[in-house]
Amino acid sequence: MTKLKTFYIPVLISIISIILLSACGNTQSQNTAQAKTNKNTLIIGLDSDPPQLDPQLSTTLVDRQVDQSLYNTLIDVNSNLQFVPGLATSWKVSSDEKMYTFHLRQGVTFQDGTPFNAEAVKFNLERILNPKTGSPSLSEISSIDSIKIIDDHSLQIHLKEPYAPFLSVLTDRTGMMLSPTAVKKEGKNFANHPVGTGPYKFVSRIKQESITVKRYDHYWGKKPKIKTVIYKPYTDGTTRVTNLESGNVDIINQMDYKDIDRLKHDPNITLSIKDALGFQGIMLNTKVKPLNNLKIRQAINIAIDRKAISKVVYHNGVTPAVNPFPTASWAHPTDLKVPKANIAKAKSLIKESGVTNTSFTLKITNDPQAKQLGQMLQYMLQKIGIKINLEMVEFGTLISQENSHQYQAVFQGWSGRIDPDGNSYSWFTSKGSLNNMGYSNTKVDQLLSEARSVSNQTERKALYDQTSKILWHDSPYIFLFYLKDFKAMKNDLQGFNHVPDTLIRTDTLSFK
Amino acid sequence: MQQATFNQSPAQSKTTRPFLKLYRAAFSRLWQNKLGTAGGVFLLLLIIAAIFAPYIAPFDPSKQDYSAVLQGPSAQHWLGTDDLGRDSLSRIIYGARVSLKAGIISVGIALIIGVPIGLLSGYLKGLWDELIIMRITDAMLSFPPLVLALTLAAVLGAGLSNAMLAIGLVFTPNFIRLVRGQVLSQREREYVEATRSSGISHFRIIVHHILPNSLAPILVQATLSVASAILSEASLSYLGLGTQPPTPSWGAMLSEAQGYLEQDPLLAVWPGLFIFLIVISINFFGDAVRDMLDPKLK
Amino acid sequence: MVHYIIRRLLLMIIILFLVSIIVFALVNILPGDPAVLLLGQEATPQALAALRDQLGLNDPLYIQYIHWIINVLHGNLGYSLSDHSPVLNILLQKIPVTLELTIISFIIALLIAIPVGILSATRKGSIWDYISTFGALSGISIPAFWLGILLIYFFSVKLGWFPPSGYVSPFRHFGQSIFLMILPAFSLGITLSAELTRMLRSSLLEVLQADFIRTGYAKGLLKYAVVFKHALKNALIPVLTVSGLQLATFFGGAVITETIFAIPGIGQLIINAILSRDFPVVQGTVLFMAFAVICINFLVDITYSLLDPRIKLGEVSK
Repeated sequence: MTKLKTFYIPVLISIISIILLSACGNTQSQNTAQAKTNKNTLIIGLDSDPPQLDPQLSTTLVDRQVDQSLYNTLIDVNSNLQFVPGLATSWKVSSDEKMYTFHLRQGVTFQDGTPFNAEAVKFNLERILNPKTGSPSLSEISSIDSIKIIDDHSLQIHLKEPYAPFLSVLTDRTGMMLSPTAVKKEGKNFANHPVGTGPYKFVSRIKQESITVKRYDHYWGKKPKIKTVIYKPYTDGTTRVTNLESGNVDIINQMDYKDIDRLKHDPNITLSIKDALGFQGIMLNTKVKPLNNLKIRQAINIAIDRKAISKVVYHNGVTPAVNPFPTASWAHPTDLKVPKANIAKAKSLIKESGVTNTSFTLKITNDPQAKQLGQMLQYMLQKIGIKINLEMVEFGTLISQENSHQYQAVFQGWSGRIDPDGNSYSWFTSKGSLNNMGYSNTKVDQLLSEARSVSNQTERKALYDQTSKILWHDSPYIFLFYLKDFKAMKNDLQGFNHVPDTLIRTDTLSFK
Repeated sequence: MQQATFNQSPAQSKTTRPFLKLYRAAFSRLWQNKLGTAGGVFLLLLIIAAIFAPYIAPFDPSKQDYSAVLQGPSAQHWLGTDDLGRDSLSRIIYGARVSLKAGIISVGIALIIGVPIGLLSGYLKGLWDELIIMRITDAMLSFPPLVLALTLAAVLGAGLSNAMLAIGLVFTPNFIRLVRGQVLSQREREYVEATRSSGISHFRIIVHHILPNSLAPILVQATLSVASAILSEASLSYLGLGTQPPTPSWGAMLSEAQGYLEQDPLLAVWPGLFIFLIVISINFFGDAVRDMLDPKLK
Repeated sequence: MVHYIIRRLLLMIIILFLVSIIVFALVNILPGDPAVLLLGQEATPQALAALRDQLGLNDPLYIQYIHWIINVLHGNLGYSLSDHSPVLNILLQKIPVTLELTIISFIIALLIAIPVGILSATRKGSIWDYISTFGALSGISIPAFWLGILLIYFFSVKLGWFPPSGYVSPFRHFGQSIFLMILPAFSLGITLSAELTRMLRSSLLEVLQADFIRTGYAKGLLKYAVVFKHALKNALIPVLTVSGLQLATFFGGAVITETIFAIPGIGQLIINAILSRDFPVVQGTVLFMAFAVICINFLVDITYSLLDPRIKLGEVSK
């Protein structure tokens, strides 16, 4: 009997020591009760690994979350979407709306020590305007005619024609200032060593795992209270949420809608809701079969039951949509209702089209919510005789495939911009830099160009209303819904400023 | 593999009465093995359910019913519904089709490619066999099977057919090795020499003598491989590379259910349970078959 | 002895060579044009052609292979298509994570397999034996991902003892690192322990029949002393051999477990790389895995042959 013990005793000891070791790990760790937070580090859970940290080459919203910490924009917005000074302290518009004068903030340096001045602004804008850069933001400022430096901290921008959205464009990516020194030094590799003027500077990155940034001690604004911020991607919505619930993560930028109820009732979590600016739907490649056929696209458009999608996949946390302008925007057309699914008409449209092979592949990201949506769409289109194949693609690859037009249909949305021009011009004009659908309608080009040059809101709305009607008819993009932005965070995270652009502004955050 | 079990004189290739008697004895051994029998019965039931799925399943497995989402078991839906209102029971039944198909076809592919190569390689010996074929199988066996299947499936494209091909290819080296080993041990036996000296061609020797004597271990390995193949298909579908929606696959169903553990944990139980049951049934049955064919093999 | 080692070494090199060919062939049939994936948006046809030239994509395959293998031998495994970082660096970051998971899983597997294996071998035919055989077969049959999900459900969602996923480096916080690994290591360890239990049971049964054991009995040693001092040591050797050989299957299990539990190891790396068509990463990771398996098998072979001749008389020299 004693010999038996000589075996089991070491075993028991090792088991106990493992438990003890992990128990002392557990004191700083979690169960469903909230974990004690490390007050010096903020961990942000993202919905995917940001593909591009060079804002001038970026097309995704998740990039902008990290950009928020690294860079500043010329103009910023508050939670009511009103313009407030950023790197520009004041600005003037000429009466003919073709000349903008900016006075820049003084005493600002980039994180690598380069001084911020009018030269830097000119450098950045010209980089975007340079077609060799290949910036998707180009069409947002294509109306710039010339940039004139007045002195170190003021410059004048001349436009070719009046462009109403100009100031709002400078509140996001296009207005972000990169260090010219770093850009010149790193070239194409800039995204791996980004340098801006923002409250946090880039430290390191492990692909698909984390992006670490550290407080920039010479930041011009109010110094952030939290020293380190780590962005961690969790592509699975459930994993993201459970990590928040268990305390591994302090705030998450998005969640699956099925988890919203649960988070609402969690006493340790604060939920903040704001109507967002963007739209979601399906991009159709109008240059390939069978989607090059108008009637097929129209059939798809009217066969979809948008209300069912909102209810089943998004638990009514989204608003069904049929055009690019969300309900919160003044450009939202009030007379275009969301119709019920019309299976009969869709079927007859398909017959009329004469297309026999109606099947195509719909690409979606590899997450459960998208898969659920994909299967709903599959089922709905099956009813009208269209068979779709679902292909799951990793987010970054999906973006590349869209940009190189290697797809038939993609579930892809747009985060939205304050100005309705930002929700339409680059997407739906023939040469729009985000128009990956090959869509071209000269009437739309005309309407959208006019809408951006006129400043009277009523006039602009009429133009956007017309655009919405044409987009519904042409169906290059199947609008599905407008998102609401839900942000969930630990109760002890203070200072969160919920702006409808959905970005987490890290400089105001602190732990109680 | 015991030569004595099949009491054939060299030139005979027909079965003889002692042969039948042995089979009867083997079957009675099988029956005595309760677990094996239970496994076999369960398998049979699943196969029948899979074949007659359209008649047995209460609903169309792809039919979405948005008013009945994530329900627990009820009179209408015995196993409840999933996140799109589809009937779980029907999806499980149709999922059996996918799993069984995947298991059988994958192993079939491995057999069709592996057995001939193994036979030739073992019989011919020499440089071609030692250096090339054996080293290639060694190389293939160095890859983690799932990783190799994943990569192959990604290369060939998503979908069940490609997944089956990928899995089949991954299992092939095992069969090559097994058959080759059998051939190597068989060809040294006297009956082969005796047969050669009577002038029968190599081909006849392989096909009519060596192969039948090697059948038993091949059969056992094949049976157990079906279980592995089913697990592999489930894994591939779980990761998104096997069966594509809306075809129900137990692995894919499991990955869908993972997001609803709080709301509807049972959703994750059924597909996993059935994978477990089918695999363990095959393992029990396979073990029993092994015992039946040669009780000395343990 | 040396002769044997050299022969094995030569064989190992041949296999490695074949493995590299298979890996290269596999990945280069993957669909997708790497140039487009790299340059992405609105790249001009000239830029694409230039990059293809630069990447050597226009060369015949065997030349591409030679370039690649030479690079590999110099430690250059290529660059990831998504963020251009060197594949080798990525691997070096992720390997320790999987290594930690592997070690803890093995410990758990052994902790289960050894007592259960001993119990079932020493009480052959009893209820214990029956339970452990059944348990072992179950362990092999249970899909790793189902086990993982069930563990998450019971221990995380229901009981709240563990978080459902996550990883912390042991260098940052050792205790927490192990703690977070317990559920995933368990789900991997159980399947492994099933295999090991079967192995241990049958090898222990064999050893217990051996002559030297009977000699031990004759000498009057207590049954347990016999079992633990002599039989176990000898029975463990084939078990450890099998453990080493299990490494290949283990990597496969790790892929799934790392995905379920969001552990940033090479399993998750390869899944993400396959899904994002990041060929260099796929190539490098698969190559590494095969390489690891081959090396471990080689070491196991050598170790086994070193130990084997000494087993006869029950004296295993340390």
